[in-house]
Amino acid sequence: MVALNVNGKSYDVNVDPETPLLWVLRDTIGLTGTKYGCGIAQCGACTVHLDGEAMRACIVPVSEAANRKITTIEGLAENGVLSKVQQVWLDHDVPQCGYCQSGMIMAATALLKSTPKPTDEDINAAMTNICRCGTYQQVRAAIHAAAKA
Amino acid sequence: MRDEPETDLALMKFGIGQPVPRSEDPKLLRGEGRYTDDISLSGQAYAVMVRSRHAHATIRGIDSTEARAMPGVLGVYTQADLEAAGFGPLKCPIAFPNRDGTPMKTPPRPALARDKVRFVGEAVAFIVAETAAQARDAAEAVIFDVEELPAVTDPVAALAPGAPQVHADAPGNLVLDYHYGDADAVNAAFARAAHVTRLEIVSNRVVVNAMEPRAAIGSYDPDTQRWTLHVGCQGVFGLRASLAKDVLNVPPDKVHVLTGNVGGSFGMKAPVYPEYPCLLFAARALGRPVKWTDERSESFVSDHHGRDHQRIAELALDAEGNFLAVRLTGYGNAGAFIYPPLPATINAVKNVVDVYRTPAIEVNSKIVFTNTTPIAAYRGAGRPEGNYYMERLIDTAAREMGIDRVELRRRNHIAPQAMPWKAPSGMLYDSGDFTGVLDDALKAADWQGFDKRRQESRARGRLRGRGIGSYLEVTAPPSKEMGGIRFEADGTVTMISGTLDYGQGHASPFAQVLVEKLGIPFDRLRLLQGDSDQLKAGGGTGGSRSALVAGQAFVEASAQVIERGRQIAAHILEAAAADIEFSRGRFTIAGTDRSIGILELAERLRSGMSLPPDVPSSLDVAHVSDNPPSSFPNGCHIAEVEIDPDTGAVDVVRYAMVNDFGTVINPLLVEGQAHGGVVQGIGQALMEHTVFNDEGQPLTGSYMDYALPRAVHAPDFRVQNHPVPCKSNILGIKGCGEAGCAGALPAVMNAVIDALQEHGIRHIDMPATPEKIWRALHEPREETRP
Ligand code: FES
Ligand code: FES
Repeated sequence: MVALNVNGKSYDVNVDPETPLLWVLRDTIGLTGTKYGCGIAQCGACTVHLDGEAMRACIVPVSEAANRKITTIEGLAENGVLSKVQQVWLDHDVPQCGYCQSGMIMAATALLKSTPKPTDEDINAAMTNICRCGTYQQVRAAIHAAAKA
Repeated sequence: MRDEPETDLALMKFGIGQPVPRSEDPKLLRGEGRYTDDISLSGQAYAVMVRSRHAHATIRGIDSTEARAMPGVLGVYTQADLEAAGFGPLKCPIAFPNRDGTPMKTPPRPALARDKVRFVGEAVAFIVAETAAQARDAAEAVIFDVEELPAVTDPVAALAPGAPQVHADAPGNLVLDYHYGDADAVNAAFARAAHVTRLEIVSNRVVVNAMEPRAAIGSYDPDTQRWTLHVGCQGVFGLRASLAKDVLNVPPDKVHVLTGNVGGSFGMKAPVYPEYPCLLFAARALGRPVKWTDERSESFVSDHHGRDHQRIAELALDAEGNFLAVRLTGYGNAGAFIYPPLPATINAVKNVVDVYRTPAIEVNSKIVFTNTTPIAAYRGAGRPEGNYYMERLIDTAAREMGIDRVELRRRNHIAPQAMPWKAPSGMLYDSGDFTGVLDDALKAADWQGFDKRRQESRARGRLRGRGIGSYLEVTAPPSKEMGGIRFEADGTVTMISGTLDYGQGHASPFAQVLVEKLGIPFDRLRLLQGDSDQLKAGGGTGGSRSALVAGQAFVEASAQVIERGRQIAAHILEAAAADIEFSRGRFTIAGTDRSIGILELAERLRSGMSLPPDVPSSLDVAHVSDNPPSSFPNGCHIAEVEIDPDTGAVDVVRYAMVNDFGTVINPLLVEGQAHGGVVQGIGQALMEHTVFNDEGQPLTGSYMDYALPRAVHAPDFRVQNHPVPCKSNILGIKGCGEAGCAGALPAVMNAVIDALQEHGIRHIDMPATPEKIWRALHEPREETRP
């Protein structure tokens, strides 16, 4: 049994402690907003927050996430109100296929927490998520807008 | 009359041409999209494919005894099982004649390799187990007895005498000896040319890398004998037809294809892949749904790849620089099996004409089997390279002849007055203002200010170059498309289309068409695409066709709704149908203020009113449109790059594009499509490289080895429209989905060569990696021979 706190809710999951957190979120708990893209920490599709810090859930063994505050894309909106980053994503029409965007939004949220007024260079350095649809310009514009909001 | 002001406002906000935000986004950015792997059916088992590790080998036997005995394993299946159950092979629905008129080779593909394997990653067997982990473990335990054969990965090597034979029934590995054009006219033009420019030029193989790996769930209902497949694809109607006809040999209504959100496809997810029949087979055999999701390392070899052409491109010019003829000769790598559209054939023909008045063209392509992953469609599917070859030829010719590259382009543009223009590709261009587009692009890029920027770059030790990439695209050939409009019980209106959104964002622009034509409020409109049971026709999304064909289908469907509504309204308002006018969502008796709104009318019908027999009982239509001809989106991209001569690294530092997409329904979406296409173009031009070793083993099979563009590689783009409405469809639309790639490949590569030309470098092939550029700058070179 591993005790998890995801988006403020407690879960006891019966899985191998080595199982990557990504699969526990998706397959065991059923939070499918976090995506699989590569499984080797290269694409960022699986980005979640552990105690507010962006982590790539495909390489985090679930045991390491035990008793820490896990936030996924489903946990960003509060009482149905979009988070600031989600709102600027909406305003800037960022998503195309949308598959990478959970990870993008989680990474951007963490970036803005550590660097409230990021430059383009800061954004390019921090946002290493892959978006095959090529939404990068809108990602930058949205992050700048969030920084100003 | 009462809600007219409201409707005016609605049109201003939600009509055609307005930047309406995407309706899909609120779900997607909450993580509430429903991609295939997000779906789980009750009782589902999991499949894992067992893939070949050899590029070429004879299969002597498959021993699955151990795998079958492993925990959780429900079945291990091979091609013999599929065939015993009557499953047919996958077929390629395309056939060109050879140059000599004989048919091309179209060997069918067994879903699972039977006698031999032909590329690394080809599926040979599959396991179904209670969990995916159990299936994966069992897959490791399947033992193959194989005899390895020599492999061949390069089309030229594959055509050489004595080369390994990929298919017994395609001797010499030749799929197709494709020829297009008037060879005599082209030869004569080259013979009398004052100047001939010749380039050996490559379009590098690209791994498509949709961020969502392919996934599917098969199920079977023994009572109705119906199969259901949940799958990410590009059009459920066409996929259902191929599955039913080729594979299952059943009427189409015995197959139900369902698609939710699709995490990118770019051409790749269109066809029937081997996994799909396997899942349907197992679902029936085991009596439960069977789910499969690819792992990325498998996607790298099992998803069809794109591009991979080698060419000699030649341009004949007279002394003034007028283009006389263009000729492409070379090879298209097919991989181990053939898939539409055979990108190195007709699509190269279509786009190589570009925006120029070249009277004669010839394209010669040998399409060749090799022991590599099959090549199929990738954003543009052979068209972007047509533009790439032409625009590289033009820059090279300009330099060789001492003519300014802008002037050389201008001199050869097809003039607007010359429309309609019968191009030597057989296409009839309806409209275009190519010089106007070029002029706008030069302004947007501040072409005049380049020298100053180059000096600044030089002061920082950087080489700076600029490149023009003009393009003209030919959108998908006409095919039928459904435009269904259904008034629902809850007061919403469903738009039914056989196109399919895999990232484009169709819901808002299609709704904008109905806001405009029927005056239905935007927030009442819902889009339905991904359910084959609901479709009467559907060509899917591809070839930049969707806005054009769905737009046309919905406009025609709207007219039918209005016609039905007039008759019903006449009855309700007690007037003659001929006296009923429709405007902005209301049916009105002409010259009176007596009217009824379209949604109110639908509501009255639902509440069960009695109508005379000759009056339609519903507003719903399920229209199928015979689609309008191809359109010719065009534009001009201008890139500026900086190169660090010490490392060879290229930065795209400025990028401007001016596009003529005709009537734009929604500029926000069109801009997103332009960004995406250009980012993919930058990827192919500068970094994406698919490498096989001599044994046919892929060496670039993960994100550690295969470089994809990320935020740092994508500059901010300046995007402008120079719309000239298309004359051959109702709304005046020209498709935009693939144009970004078509403009970006030449713009970026012309800029790279421009930066390097002072070092005597005449051409570099894509991808222009730092290593390649560094070597060109620092090593004695061969590749710059004239
Ligand atoms: S899936 Fe975790 S980084 Fe790609
Ligand atoms: S929006 Fe499609 S991968 Fe990013």
